[in-house]
Amino acid sequence: MSSGTALTSPTDASRATASPRRRWSVTAVSSTAFTALTIAALVGMVLLFALQSLPVWRHEGTHYLTGDKWFFRNQVFGVLPMLYGTAVVAIVAVLLAAPIGIGAAVFASEYLPPKLRLAVKLTIELLAGVPSVVYGLLGILVLRNYVYDGFRSLGVDMHSGDSLLTAGILLAIMILPTIMTLSDDALRAVPSAQRQAARGLGLTRGQAVRSVALPQARRGLVAAVLLALGRALGEMIAVFLVVGRQDNQLPASWFSLKPLVAPGQTMSSKLGGAETNIAYGDPLHWAAMVGLGLLLMAIVAIVTLVGGWLAGRSHAHA
Amino acid sequence: MTRGIGLSSAAFVLALIVAGCKESGSSPSPGALKINGSTTVNLPAAEAAEVLRAERKMNIQVDTQGGSSGGISMLGDGLVQIGMISKHVADDDRKKYPKVNFKETQIGEDAVALIVSKDVWDGGLRSLSKQQAKAIYEGKITHWKDVGGPDLRIAFFNKEPGRGTWEVFVHWVYGSPKKAPPVSFPEVGGNEETRNKVASTRGALSQLSSSWADQRTVFALALKDDAGALVDPTAANIATGKYPMSRPLFLLTNGEPTGDAKTFIDFLLSDRGQELVAKHGYLRLKDLKPH
Amino acid sequence: MPTPDPFATLHRRRWPDYVFAGAAALCAAVALGVLIWVIQAIVTRGFPALSWQFLTEHIRLVGAEGGIFYNLVGTLILIATAACVATPVALGIALVRAVYLTGDRAKRTLDLILYTLNGVPSILFGIAGLIVFVKYLGWGKSWLSGGVLLGVMILPTVTVALVERIKVLPTKYVEAARGLGLRRSQVIRSVVLPQAVGGLLTGLLLGLARAAGETAPIMFTATIFAGATLPTGVRESPVLSLPYHVFILAQDSFDPAVAGKVWGTATVLLILVFLLGAIALPVRLRVHEEARHG
Repeated sequence: MSSGTALTSPTDASRATASPRRRWSVTAVSSTAFTALTIAALVGMVLLFALQSLPVWRHEGTHYLTGDKWFFRNQVFGVLPMLYGTAVVAIVAVLLAAPIGIGAAVFASEYLPPKLRLAVKLTIELLAGVPSVVYGLLGILVLRNYVYDGFRSLGVDMHSGDSLLTAGILLAIMILPTIMTLSDDALRAVPSAQRQAARGLGLTRGQAVRSVALPQARRGLVAAVLLALGRALGEMIAVFLVVGRQDNQLPASWFSLKPLVAPGQTMSSKLGGAETNIAYGDPLHWAAMVGLGLLLMAIVAIVTLVGGWLAGRSHAHA
Repeated sequence: MTRGIGLSSAAFVLALIVAGCKESGSSPSPGALKINGSTTVNLPAAEAAEVLRAERKMNIQVDTQGGSSGGISMLGDGLVQIGMISKHVADDDRKKYPKVNFKETQIGEDAVALIVSKDVWDGGLRSLSKQQAKAIYEGKITHWKDVGGPDLRIAFFNKEPGRGTWEVFVHWVYGSPKKAPPVSFPEVGGNEETRNKVASTRGALSQLSSSWADQRTVFALALKDDAGALVDPTAANIATGKYPMSRPLFLLTNGEPTGDAKTFIDFLLSDRGQELVAKHGYLRLKDLKPH
Repeated sequence: MPTPDPFATLHRRRWPDYVFAGAAALCAAVALGVLIWVIQAIVTRGFPALSWQFLTEHIRLVGAEGGIFYNLVGTLILIATAACVATPVALGIALVRAVYLTGDRAKRTLDLILYTLNGVPSILFGIAGLIVFVKYLGWGKSWLSGGVLLGVMILPTVTVALVERIKVLPTKYVEAARGLGLRRSQVIRSVVLPQAVGGLLTGLLLGLARAAGETAPIMFTATIFAGATLPTGVRESPVLSLPYHVFILAQDSFDPAVAGKVWGTATVLLILVFLLGAIALPVRLRVHEEARHG
């Protein structure tokens, strides 16, 4: 007689609870209904955005995606500068937060004694819950001044503290706890037996981490970064307050660094701004705004799904 | 089980689509007096609402979604009974809502000032002409030296669309919002954000309600008219209409105000209400000289 | 011939290790430093503004005076509604995922859907809510729209916590129930669900901690800045809220002197979020470690 084995095998719960007749009890029906409702809500949301944005696709066609000017009063809708802004802000955030977050997670999980590691983890978990509006407040009242004065002392004359870089830095701070937690999970998923085997073979602790733990955790780490990237792409409130909200900021050269210290616009900051309220009466303007939502949803979905897939694969290896 | 979920999901989505094709219903519900619109008018209006809520137990909801444009559109859509606006209702708006009879009731007057940061003011720049403002807005002048100011780049913050403040500005410079060319500048939304960002940026310039220019952190410029005379945004100049960027503060209703809306508007027109208007730095109706 | 130093290679190997460990430690220091800076920046500005009065008074003078009582009430109403919406739905999905579904592909598909839902930017919930609740259903701004949207937003969090909990239920209870002749639905109702309550609470607390701080889903659909106390129905019944209050005051306050208020509100919000998360933490970490080393 088994004493405490859990329902961890895939078919345990199903087989253990299955009854020979009457599959469709009230519980089963309502569970099915709720699940179906949720799926329908998600699908419905996508359909809603697609349908409501039809007018702008008809009006602009692919120029909506490739156009570099957005002047709603003249019915010109090109989202390229916003795609650029969204990408830059998110990439800056990840470039700043990923190395620091992963490095910190490596330190916490490989070098700290268990109690300290737990304390760090607790702190990070709490910090991951700080609302974005609070970060936004810090950004608009504190961070943007630091960035402005900082670059001034370096001789760079920014328009103001609002810029793609400021938004990127703020986002980096926001996603840092997420990356740390998920990276810690990925590293812990590598069995300690492997590390011990490496040490037994004569590797130092550092070598054990570099050659055994990190490579094994690689998938989980990439997943962590991608999930944080997904959050960075979609964040609105914090970015809205410090990005400058200047349209049509597309640089002549794709690799120029100047846009970083200039104000810009992201898809989310546009959606959270004044135009959403005034657009509703005008079908074309409204369609253009909802189109932004559709694009944002698609981009974030792809990034999140790839991250989720990788995370699932990494746990399967453990 | 999978089949069950799949089928029901498809059924729900289908139901959503069918429901979506029906005409949407929207009728204003009785009860609360709903007011929406300009953040400028919001200050006395929200305080008036507090007073009426406390004294006469009225149920009043005030919001500022979309600024003046939001006030017009929500009144037009029947979502609110009173719209707060800091500009006149344009012909385009009347055409968009042919069935709505927009009635403007003025409760005061305010002015839009061009504000600059301390370094610009201390650098000697105290006024701008319409031509200079136009050139700056169109990006033709980008340095304060070119208009007689200090050696600083002009950091212009444009008011976001929908704000009455922006419309008053382009009205002065171009004669109508329609004639304003499309420009791209960093945007600021409400009064606090504008003041905060101008105060903390070198060489900054933006449009702001004159009552918010504290002459400590941000400074209101005088406007140079065609003759070269300087007009400060003082109460006297605004009252007589000498200051070109003055704007009326309106409460907007669909037809003559009735019921709770009338009570609210009457309160703001009364002495007590007008005191609230003055308290927030605006001009009362009786301060205005005919012009 | 001089004896080779047996420890030579060992010393040579140590340096890369020190550099590596040092780099990791530096990252940890930077990370913790930044995050501690965040907390102290908020607390030093916010705590001075807090007082019992602040929490229990209403807003006055468009945010310049008075307190945030109804903002707190509004946020509590929103998350309570979200909890009511999320609980039955998450239970249903969790049962489907952990008990009913048998195929691996079906389970992975469901996981995918939950993952996608979890990743949807909250502003998109706000836009969808604007279209469906505010305009199409004609509700105007309603606390119910906000509650429903927040509930949908936290579904993945609650569901995953439930699923994890159900997965570690000892089979002995289920086997005993089956042995007594109970049907599957009865087994679920009498054994699985009661045991899963812990997971439900954990998931809800985590989800509500996030929901309490969200501005984007509610700013178009459920909340206004001033003038609401308690909702009076479904349509046209907005509520005040803590995060929206902070958002508006950051841009649009009555008076520059309001700065203390905005930080006070932010601190209250933070305390609420931390409380919700902190209650869930011990349970979560225990399940976490169980799953890791079990």
